[in-house]
Amino acid sequence: MHPAFSVLTFTVMSGAGYGLAALLILGHLLGINSLQDSSVLLTSGILALVLITLGLLCSMGHLANPKNAWRAFNRFKTSWLSREGVFAVLFYPFFLIYLIGIWTQGAEINGFFSILGLLAALIAIVTLFCTSMIYASLKTIRQWNSSLTPLNYIVLGLMSGSVVLAAIQASLSGSASSILYQLATALLVLGAIAKVIYLFWIGKPAGSTINTATGFTQASVRLLDQGHSSNGFLNNEFGYTVEANKIVCLRVLMLVVAFLIPFLLLLSGSSTLIVIAALLTVGGLLVERWLFFAEARHVVRLFHGDQRT
Amino acid sequence: MKLGLVIDLDTCVGCHGCATACKQWNTSGTIGPLADKDPYGREPVGSWLNRIRSYEVDDSPNSKTVHMPMSCMHCDDADCVTVCPTGASYKREEDGIVLVDQDKCMGCNLCSWACPYGARELDPDQGVMKKCTLCVDRIYDEKLPEAERQPACVLTCPTKSRVFGDFDDPESEVSKLVRERAGKALMPELGYNPVNTYLPPRNKPVQDQIDTASLKDTVKGWVNKIIAR
Amino acid sequence: MSTVKQQAPLNEVSQAQADIIAKDLPEFEEHAKQDIKYTTCYMCACRCGIKVTVEDNKVRFIQGNPNHPINKGVLCAKGNSGIMKQYSPAKLSAPLLRKPGTERGAGEFEEISWDQALDMLEKRLRRIRETDPKQLAYFTGRDQMQALTGMWASQFGTINWAAHGGFCSVNMAAGGLYTMGHAFWEFGDPDWENTKYFMMWGVAEDHSSNPIKLGLKRLKERGAKFVSVNPVRTGYQAIADEWVAIRPGTDGILALSMAHVLLKHQLVDEEFLVRYTNSPQLVMMKPGEVGDGLFYRGDSEVPQVWDLQKEAFVDSNLPDITPALFGEYTAPDGTKLKTAMSLLIEKYMDEQYSPEVAAKECGVPAEDIERMALEMAHVAFKETITIDVEWTDWAGRKQDKFIGRPVSMHAMRGIAAHSNGFQTCRAIHMLQTLLGTIDCPGGHLAKPPFPKHVPPGIKPAKEMAPMTPLKSPPLGFPTCPEDLAINEDGSPRRIDKAYSWDAPISCHGLMHMVISNAVKGDPYKIDTLMIFMANMAWNSSMNTAQTIDMLTAKEDDGEYKIPFIVCSDAFNSEMVAYSDLVLPDTTYLERFDTISMLDRPISEPHAACDSVRIPVIKPDRDVMSWQEVMVEMAGRLDFPAFTKEGGERKYKDYKDFIVNFEKEPGIGFLAGYRGKDGEKSLRGEPNPRQWEAYEENEGFFEMHFDMNQRYMRHANLDYLKLAKEAAWVGNTNQIVIELYSEKLQTFRLAGQGLYDGPMPTEEHHKERLVKYFDPLPIYYMPLEEQRIDREEYPYHAVNQRPMFMYHSWDSQNAWLRQIMSQNYLFMNRVAAERDGIEDLSWVWVESHNGKIRCQVKLMEGTNEQTVWTWNAIAKRGGAWGLDEDVKENKDGFLMNHLISELLPQKGDNMDRVTNSDPVTGQAAWYDLRVKITPAAPGETGSWPTFDALKAQPNAKQSPKMLSYSSHKNVNLLRSLSDILTRGDK
Repeated sequence: MHPAFSVLTFTVMSGAGYGLAALLILGHLLGINSLQDSSVLLTSGILALVLITLGLLCSMGHLANPKNAWRAFNRFKTSWLSREGVFAVLFYPFFLIYLIGIWTQGAEINGFFSILGLLAALIAIVTLFCTSMIYASLKTIRQWNSSLTPLNYIVLGLMSGSVVLAAIQASLSGSASSILYQLATALLVLGAIAKVIYLFWIGKPAGSTINTATGFTQASVRLLDQGHSSNGFLNNEFGYTVEANKIVCLRVLMLVVAFLIPFLLLLSGSSTLIVIAALLTVGGLLVERWLFFAEARHVVRLFHGDQRT
Repeated sequence: MKLGLVIDLDTCVGCHGCATACKQWNTSGTIGPLADKDPYGREPVGSWLNRIRSYEVDDSPNSKTVHMPMSCMHCDDADCVTVCPTGASYKREEDGIVLVDQDKCMGCNLCSWACPYGARELDPDQGVMKKCTLCVDRIYDEKLPEAERQPACVLTCPTKSRVFGDFDDPESEVSKLVRERAGKALMPELGYNPVNTYLPPRNKPVQDQIDTASLKDTVKGWVNKIIAR
Repeated sequence: MSTVKQQAPLNEVSQAQADIIAKDLPEFEEHAKQDIKYTTCYMCACRCGIKVTVEDNKVRFIQGNPNHPINKGVLCAKGNSGIMKQYSPAKLSAPLLRKPGTERGAGEFEEISWDQALDMLEKRLRRIRETDPKQLAYFTGRDQMQALTGMWASQFGTINWAAHGGFCSVNMAAGGLYTMGHAFWEFGDPDWENTKYFMMWGVAEDHSSNPIKLGLKRLKERGAKFVSVNPVRTGYQAIADEWVAIRPGTDGILALSMAHVLLKHQLVDEEFLVRYTNSPQLVMMKPGEVGDGLFYRGDSEVPQVWDLQKEAFVDSNLPDITPALFGEYTAPDGTKLKTAMSLLIEKYMDEQYSPEVAAKECGVPAEDIERMALEMAHVAFKETITIDVEWTDWAGRKQDKFIGRPVSMHAMRGIAAHSNGFQTCRAIHMLQTLLGTIDCPGGHLAKPPFPKHVPPGIKPAKEMAPMTPLKSPPLGFPTCPEDLAINEDGSPRRIDKAYSWDAPISCHGLMHMVISNAVKGDPYKIDTLMIFMANMAWNSSMNTAQTIDMLTAKEDDGEYKIPFIVCSDAFNSEMVAYSDLVLPDTTYLERFDTISMLDRPISEPHAACDSVRIPVIKPDRDVMSWQEVMVEMAGRLDFPAFTKEGGERKYKDYKDFIVNFEKEPGIGFLAGYRGKDGEKSLRGEPNPRQWEAYEENEGFFEMHFDMNQRYMRHANLDYLKLAKEAAWVGNTNQIVIELYSEKLQTFRLAGQGLYDGPMPTEEHHKERLVKYFDPLPIYYMPLEEQRIDREEYPYHAVNQRPMFMYHSWDSQNAWLRQIMSQNYLFMNRVAAERDGIEDLSWVWVESHNGKIRCQVKLMEGTNEQTVWTWNAIAKRGGAWGLDEDVKENKDGFLMNHLISELLPQKGDNMDRVTNSDPVTGQAAWYDLRVKITPAAPGETGSWPTFDALKAQPNAKQSPKMLSYSSHKNVNLLRSLSDILTRGDK
């Protein structure tokens, strides 16, 4: 699949944003000490809003006819994209009211604000899930059509959010909160495991082949002509191909940048390095997301000559 | 009704007539125009609703060339419709035609991702999704002669390899063809239940050879018969 | 007139539902604003009837006319892309004159008025006509008005006229016309309704487009067997029941070997041979003497046969005789005689034609050759069909049935475009004749005005004088050396050397030689070259790169070697840039035209048909159709046939000419709706409302024959009387099928020095006549292969046009080019792997004539010794409204550069001889042999490359985005409530 920059930035930024929002609310309400500081909460909250909003704006960039974007809420009944849109919008009032509560009442907010905050955290995670299901629901792309996809999206969203949260907390208070560090470290490990499982899983041959696509299952099938000599919409959208060794390099790069180095930096416990860790995680996840698309092989490719997906 | 096409791979010669007939009708049709980007440039790319791919099945010397025209299969379980957030994509209840309401599409491409058959293409000019309408603007047009109320691709096919009809009607030509010729769906394992059905190439007819005993080596063996001119 | 019944697609039940559904739909089309018009397609030479829906002078939809005899409602990819032709930005909009002081090929033109253009042309042509008419060479491409252009040339008085048949398929036409008076494609069709075994030879996706496709479907429906002989398996071959992957140029040996098998098993239709062919006729065996190999006539004027019952020589054309088919006889003067059939058997029973020997040459396994021959014999003799219809034979005798031997064949370019193609066509027709499948039910059927007597009775013109029309048309059918257009010293009279010793039976001329010969002044220089519908500066020439140089070659004094080039074209083609005067033609949707019975009309086997074009769109430019220019020029130059006795112009315009011109009383360009009131068919006085009658009848005329006139028309008096009335034949005599061609033998005798008439003086001419003018079909190695090192050039290289561009001289079309804008060199995968050539790699392809670089694509369905490509995909940047960097220019390639118009150079006297069939002059562009070597790393893109051509003054800018529509779309809206409430589906 063609890794459209708009979609990469959207999913990575909003993923981090929702993860950050969810964690800060939950951490705050669960009474984690270092999160009982309204400046940390407000700063993180605003950053989450910025990330989410920028992400959503990026996603608009993916639309070829954005003037109809408002219609995207219409098919909540069946469309994960529609659901994502609805929850993404729904998140704002809950989260904003929660932040207003922090702003007006400090970390000691009342029950009304707490409940709204809790709902905002829930919506953030649901939104992440909806985003992932846009991809996971596509039977046409076997690399996505799996419960590993929502797992990855949610874990990686929370993971990047946790590192950002730890970084903000450390920067503002000058000293690192060990519980946030531990949370981020744990999520980095969990994220890395989820990702590695995913990489192993997509490595197994499975799914449709050029034989099932064309209906000739008894013999080899080769494409002679795709019927148009310039690459069209289908080729551009689905025909994206990366050399195998480049894939390997990028996978290593991703694992190192998004997971390993942040993990090591976190172990150092330095509050400066953790900001770098946060930047690297988000940057690394851009590579992760790029690979998520670039390695996904749509079945239309079979009609254009691929032997299998 | 369940409208759709039967495509006969035994007779399709890959002439692309259906593809251009489709382009021609639909560029001024309900789903039109079908734009062409860079039409006189290096990478001309237009939106087409029907494309023909050619394959070679098996290795030399036993191989066979197969031409496979593909357009929207008007699937019974059309995920392209399910995933559409705006409701622009829908499957008509009355006849099963899958359509895109051009006024409502936001161009997110998701339906094209959900389609395993490459039947949807984003228009490079208007940024909305284009796809086969089964010529909904022909088949019900009572001002057209009855025999011409067919999709443009069917009307034009020079080898009559495309047949249009109602798959719900067991007596329709399409239903009969599917039964008699063991029609196949493409990529059935995905579970989309495509309506369009492909008829596989037939077995070769077996031709008898004449049985003769008389082998002649020279002209001397030929005897004149009395044949009146 | 019959109409094809088209079934409604939906059953009654579904239709009832459809009627209900229809009520909820918006009105998508404003039918009241639309007009339906009928005309004839011209996206290729197939001539399908089209039904065009027009609104606001814009094309809404072009569809096949369901009532039309050719296409019966269907239409191909080209026909469906007519809109993009009509709205091409490359359309020329006014006459163009090369700017004084600029070079030919630079593409610098100024627009001039039609008055200026026509005056200039008139002045030039008048001077030539008054002095030396042969100084005008007038050659046309794939036009379908040769009856008009040929007549125009005759009236002008130049023999230097021909159309493109010389590089298209004259071998196919001549092979048939010199054997049975008709041929394939426009001359005849398989009996699609009845044939049970169909063998297709060398048909490159093309001739004829839609009828073949419709026919193949009919065969498949009936379970008939379809065998395809072709080195490449694309298009039609893909759906064949058996694909015979023959080595190019060897079809002749395959056909003759199958004849060997039939003879060996004594499986021939002896009755057919005795009654309808010249095979019982007696041939004189006088080796080394004058008259050897000619028919024995005794004191008669008619070839003799031996009557078995009378036991005497009798005239072969008498009814009720019993000719001996075999045997040796002695004439009263002691001359040894043999029946032609005996000679035929002796020849083909020889081991050299055995399947085992043939297999080595053509690559088709011996057992397959034998099997196919025996399969065909089975169908012919054991699956015979009869049609119980009483008919009258040539001698006036009643016959009670037609006997059908349902084996049919079709052959085209793959056979024709080899230098042995004429004899190969003859071999195929011999095979058909031995099986008795000529014009019988299930066999190969002639299409009126064919069959004609063998060959048609028109002799080529050879005398010219200033201000004098030719005595006969420039092209005709020589039957002996006396008919050649040569001077006393044997030198050619025509600029293309047609009808010379180089190519004596070149009945379609040699268009491919004109530029080369004129530039060399061999046989002489010309003043003006007039080209219509042929892209001689690009894909219509062999040896394109050098042809471009020739078009711009200058004499020492700075004058161009071809001083003046006129072309008529509707588009900014490559040829436009190399012309001095360009006359912008209309598109096919803007013109009047006739597909005339005087030419090769659109007839079907069982119906005489012709058709017209009638404008459906008003031109938005200052253009004039070429036929209009022809009639105008004929009037201005006072051609006798175009001038009244008082010197006044006879015809106001093309339409007027078509209606009122009579070739002979009652016979005109159009055979339908003749007579004062339009009631007469085929012959009748001019009908002033003839165009209107065609318009009312959807642009065509179709006259079905009675059942008794439909078969065996070479010997069917009921038919022959009609044919004579229609002026298709000169008399009602039987058309005798000539398995043995005495006409060829006269040329051979001339080569042997045994002819009482013109004889060649040069050795190579003698040799060629002796070798290739065999009166019985032969196979020989194609000439290029004979003159090159076959080891050095191991591959055959052929090309074909894809179906969606077949026969389209101006197919540069915004829709069609999306299907293909780059061609590849296709190679068999196994062969390529053996040679270390990778898929999609760039290679150098080299012939004796030059080299090109192109990209390879591997495939299974290609003969292992063959490479091939799609022809004429490559275009020059700037031409046809294309950008400079298009794939057509940068990645696509022309194989033409590799093909020489002359034989491979060996330093002998054959160096000057055309690379053509030695009998007919058919361009041998399928003879090409090449070697292939991988290009060096980094060597990509096609080579040679050419500078981009300039756009014409006032040319429209080619759009970057095209959204064609004849009206604003009426969208089918989905309701909001449906969107919000519908569940899963």
